[in-house]
Amino acid sequence: MQADQGANALAIAQEQRALKDANHDLLFSWLLKACALLVLACLLGAAGATLWGGRHAFGAFGWHFLGSDAWDPGNDIYGALVPVYGTIATSLIALLIAVPVSFGIALYLSEVAPPWLRTPVASAIELLAGIPSIIYGMWGLFVFAPFFADHIKPWLTDHLGNPPPVQVPWGDGVIPFTPWAVEHVSVIGPVAHLLHKLTWAFGQLFTSDSPFGASILTAGIVLAVMIIPFISSVMREVFQTVPTRLKESAYALGSSTWEVSWDIVLPYTRSAVVGGVFLGLGRALGETMAVTFVLGNAMSLSPSLLDPGASIASTIANQFSEAAGLQKSSLMALAFLLFVVTFFVLLIARLMLRRLALKEGR
Amino acid sequence: MIESAAGVNPQSTAAAALAPCKLQVRDLHFYYNGFHALKGIDMDIPEKKVTAIIGPSGCGKSTLLRIFNRIYAIYPKLEAKGAITLDGENILDPGYSMNRLRSKVGMVFQKPVPFPMTIFENVAYGIRHHEKLSRTDMDIRVEQALRSAALWDEVKDKLKQNALGLSGGQQQRLCIARAIALRPEVLLLDEPTSALDPIATGRIEQLVEELKNEYTIVIVTHNMQQAARCSDLTAFMYLGELIEFDQTEKIFTKPSKKQTEDYITGRFG
Amino acid sequence: MSNALYLRRRVANMVALCMSMLATLIGLTFLAWILWETLHQGIGALNLKLFTKITAYGEDGGLANAMIGSLIINFIGIAIATPIGVMAGTWLAEYANRTKLGESIRFLNDILLSAPSIVLGLFVYTIIVLPSTAITHGSTTFSGLAGGVALALIALPVIVRTTDEMLRLVPSTLREAALSLGVPQWKLTVQILIRAARSGLITGVLLALARISGETAPLLFTAFGNNYTTFNPMDKMSSLPQMIYQYANDPGEAMHSIAWAGAFVITMFVLLLSLASRLVLSRNKVSHD
Repeated sequence: MQADQGANALAIAQEQRALKDANHDLLFSWLLKACALLVLACLLGAAGATLWGGRHAFGAFGWHFLGSDAWDPGNDIYGALVPVYGTIATSLIALLIAVPVSFGIALYLSEVAPPWLRTPVASAIELLAGIPSIIYGMWGLFVFAPFFADHIKPWLTDHLGNPPPVQVPWGDGVIPFTPWAVEHVSVIGPVAHLLHKLTWAFGQLFTSDSPFGASILTAGIVLAVMIIPFISSVMREVFQTVPTRLKESAYALGSSTWEVSWDIVLPYTRSAVVGGVFLGLGRALGETMAVTFVLGNAMSLSPSLLDPGASIASTIANQFSEAAGLQKSSLMALAFLLFVVTFFVLLIARLMLRRLALKEGR
Repeated sequence: MIESAAGVNPQSTAAAALAPCKLQVRDLHFYYNGFHALKGIDMDIPEKKVTAIIGPSGCGKSTLLRIFNRIYAIYPKLEAKGAITLDGENILDPGYSMNRLRSKVGMVFQKPVPFPMTIFENVAYGIRHHEKLSRTDMDIRVEQALRSAALWDEVKDKLKQNALGLSGGQQQRLCIARAIALRPEVLLLDEPTSALDPIATGRIEQLVEELKNEYTIVIVTHNMQQAARCSDLTAFMYLGELIEFDQTEKIFTKPSKKQTEDYITGRFG
Repeated sequence: MSNALYLRRRVANMVALCMSMLATLIGLTFLAWILWETLHQGIGALNLKLFTKITAYGEDGGLANAMIGSLIINFIGIAIATPIGVMAGTWLAEYANRTKLGESIRFLNDILLSAPSIVLGLFVYTIIVLPSTAITHGSTTFSGLAGGVALALIALPVIVRTTDEMLRLVPSTLREAALSLGVPQWKLTVQILIRAARSGLITGVLLALARISGETAPLLFTAFGNNYTTFNPMDKMSSLPQMIYQYANDPGEAMHSIAWAGAFVITMFVLLLSLASRLVLSRNKVSHD
């Protein structure tokens, strides 16, 4: 009888505890969920805050803001073209250099290098990926930009740039001609003329009077150096997900290392490799410090990659503290553009990376 | 197969005649993402006996065991239908308190899973959740549990050390101690020796022999010799159905079903 | 015939492998160059003044106030991001694994991980600096606290991600074992899972600290800078990266060498943190199996 009562009391206590536990569990899960939703709030908040801050600029200039290369605090007229162009140009240059190099590094570390070398080199590269971007910026400013101005820039202008042009009357107007074109001007036909225009445009990319090392190309190179460890780490990780049996069966057929890499590893990981590249692009687009030092911060559009320029992030970093009114709003508007563009770049990157993860069945 | 399709399987109750029934399974079906994993199981598990469940992998033996304490319920899209009565109450009834069920039915898993705490805390952790005990009572309770699990002599000097430092066999006995510290009535063992070496396995089997005086034990094993060595009753399952359930001796010497015989003699599985 | 084919394939292979080796060499050369310059220029500029004198002395000063400021701002950032990040990561791994909302937040968190830090800085400027200026009529504007919040936003996704990943590595048998004892979910999570994944979580926090301690851009318009030492988080505060940025842009040679010394200190700090996080993680791996 007594034992029964004891058992009953225990059962009641258990019921009560079960109820309490259920309550606590619910509270706990709400608390956790609220924290997780904060992540969402951060993204929305960042987009919302910059859009709100940039409302005056968008209101004042409308769509013209995107297409205008004006940046004139004196007359309070602002356009996004110069920094947008600078951001895209530096990032593309960085990708152009970093992607093949990173691919080479990842390939070397996952397929070619002797096994004892792989882990130490890979770890070293991963460590370097963690170095703050301001260090890359300082190296760019004090070491690389002078080196670039002394050695690389002269070579580029001499070999790829256009010589001082000769003004030649052509049709209704006067166009700049290279001495070569002037010599052959009598025989120049429409096709040759077009060709000449194209080579001229290409040459303009490497023609510059500025004596400084700071330029869009310099910034692109520094950015490339910065994202190489990052992209190559992602690529190496991705390459390692390729099932060994797949590679072994290809080797068993007599494929060479290069053939296995190009025909088996790369197709298997293609989407993730693209994802890694886009991740690097996202980094490059939003990078501030590595770029600001070596870009020269010139708010004017120049056809030459050897002239100084500006990127969105560098413009904000340089001007925001002293800006007011419409200029501040324009900077906020630029930040909004940057955020939206990087968001979509990173979105693509993550979607591509996820495709491989899905293939693996994770 | 055909015999078990309709109504109560006559032999399942016949097997249990030697002791009062502790767990009564009636027409149990289990679905898992729509897959019909258990198909109408009927089974009477007798009190204070060792019941072994054998069968080829994928036959549903672990699934069945995991329904006895409703541990399956922590995963989505799993569904059990039918009835399992423990002391006259249906544990599949949603109103049946999970706390109560789990204090009555203990479980030990395939791989030893010590919590990342000291040896003492591992055993005390579960108790603390169900009862408020004074320090001395707790010490006594932990010691009892470790003694019952035949582990006390090996760990009494290092109760404050991390449980991850124990050997695999010791870890598994610690998990048994942790389960019996709650003083359950039923103890479920899910292939408890599959991750252990022969010596550690021997100790666990010996332990099972001792524990059956106090607990109703259900053990899932893929090792037929183990079932033959330490169980009183053996159930053979195949493709989600209970093929045969009888006294262990009978199952291993003259099984009444062809499939059981084939499996025992190693013709498949 | 087939010999020619073999030869061509072998040549192609050799060329490709040499190119990959060359790429590795180029990459490593640049990285070694950067590291070497930082060490060389930084060590040359190191002296005691750096740690004892404040930036108000300019060329004759050090970076003491910036280092103190950095420590405070980083601490605020980590102190905010750690609990929130661990909880959010726990939710993703334990409560929302495979739900739609959970998947989307995990996905968006990965995006936040590489979002431009300067925009996050502007976000904090908008939600903290501007309102505090308005409320206090300008007496509080930029603050160390705002800088800490900006860094917290950068640290948050790092911690969320590592927590999520580390908890998902905890074997589900551990959950089953605890639940089979009748332990409620929240206790299981706090007392067992978090403990089992502890070293992973520490790694995450260390990585997050490494990540934020070099961040410059978001501090420019949140903490702003201050030439004097302050311990008040509501005050303007200088930080090491922000001082480096300022000094590197200064025309004075002496300022540059102070900037290099600061860069050296940060680099060493970050490298040590990364190494420490690796050690914590590898030690954990050994003890688990």
